[in-house]
Amino acid sequence: MASAKTNQTLRQVLFVDDEQNFLLVVREVFGPLSAGHWQIHAASTTDAALELLKHQKMDLVVVDVNMPLLDGIQFLNLLGKRYPDLKKVSLTAFASEEKRSASLAAGAELFIEKPHSDEGFKSVFAMLDDLINYAPQQGFQGMLRRVGLQDVIQMECLGRNSSVLEVYNEHVLGRIYIENGSIIHAAGGELVGERALQRLLALPGGSFELVPFELPPENTISGPWEFLLMEAARVRDELASQTIPGEPVVDPKTLAAPTTAAVRVVETVICSGLGKPLFDADCADVNGRVTLLKNVAQQAAQLAQIFPLGSFDRLELLLPDGRIIAQARADRLVFVRVANNPVSA
Amino acid sequence: MKDPAQQWLIDRASPPGMLACGLRRPNGKCVCRSIEEAYPAAKMEKVLGQFPGLRAAADTDKLSPRWCTWAFEQGQIRFVERPDGWLLGLVVRMESDALPTLDPLSIEFLALALGN
Repeated sequence: MASAKTNQTLRQVLFVDDEQNFLLVVREVFGPLSAGHWQIHAASTTDAALELLKHQKMDLVVVDVNMPLLDGIQFLNLLGKRYPDLKKVSLTAFASEEKRSASLAAGAELFIEKPHSDEGFKSVFAMLDDLINYAPQQGFQGMLRRVGLQDVIQMECLGRNSSVLEVYNEHVLGRIYIENGSIIHAAGGELVGERALQRLLALPGGSFELVPFELPPENTISGPWEFLLMEAARVRDELASQTIPGEPVVDPKTLAAPTTAAVRVVETVICSGLGKPLFDADCADVNGRVTLLKNVAQQAAQLAQIFPLGSFDRLELLLPDGRIIAQARADRLVFVRVANNPVSA
Repeated sequence: MKDPAQQWLIDRASPPGMLACGLRRPNGKCVCRSIEEAYPAAKMEKVLGQFPGLRAAADTDKLSPRWCTWAFEQGQIRFVERPDGWLLGLVVRMESDALPTLDPLSIEFLALALGN
């Protein structure tokens, strides 16, 4: 994953809060934590904030919900209209479900309770820093079900392009390296080379992204791409003939050919880190799931303020008839529900 | 003589890698243990107190999960809520001996005779 954290551009962050003391603490604490990569601006009124925004493009505005005159929610709405691309976060000393919903509805990416401890400030800093640095990857983004992965590889090869195709689902991440129109390396799960390429092309579903080319750790594939793709199709058909009708030919967890029937995926939603739905399957209420994922992220942030356990990865719920995984990372939100018993074909 | 809940925590919920653990009684009172200094009992109690919000976030009232696990980079927090109102919270370090004990301990807790 190309983390934007490596981008050391000076980030402009504006805090809007009528509590001068809090603004002072923010400067004192977040300044050193950012190691000089944040330029912190502070405004104690919304007027002062708007004036600053006229002269300085900000990467992030953090707004206190409780402010006199124009309160934080109204201010978020105003910012959304004037600066639709600006990332916004609301902060409050007194969190409530009502404020959280109003803040998110007003366009805040995050709703955060004001920290009271060093750990809390560190946790909030980490969240804000991740948000600032989050940027959708350049390039094409597609879904296996809608645009064939094979089609994209063909286009890249025909165009003699150099790129890396990142193929992923909730369990595995695979990479296919194309250099000057030739497939030179593939890796996924524990597999590399042609076998990895074949299994990635046989995945029952998932997502892929075309990202800028980088040299692979090794070159494991050679030969004409036409032959490689034909061979992959042949292997997929061969695997399909050996599996239970209706079951995927490749285990989406390991890329191995399944030996037993897997659990049934009931519902899947994949979103960007900011909650923009990218893919869903069999989900009756995508917005509801996105809200759930955002709520999980919020609650996890509060837990992280209590115990130093590092960044949050996922919530797992064991249900009587299956399992739910709600993954909330800075760069992606994923909701998957599986049932224990496979559906007979 | 310690009460059965406290005794169970001492006897069972302390494999290597367990950082803190706690029980919340149906009446809201908590029994918490800190195993590592950075994870004090008072904070464990705070975590247990946060459980209603955590449950609501995942909309679990409708789903009736047997347990839920909040997984972080360096550790996991397992919550197990019984129909009689008892709540168990376990905080374990990743890749530790305590991690594979989460499921057996959760099952044991669900079957434990604890009274009120």
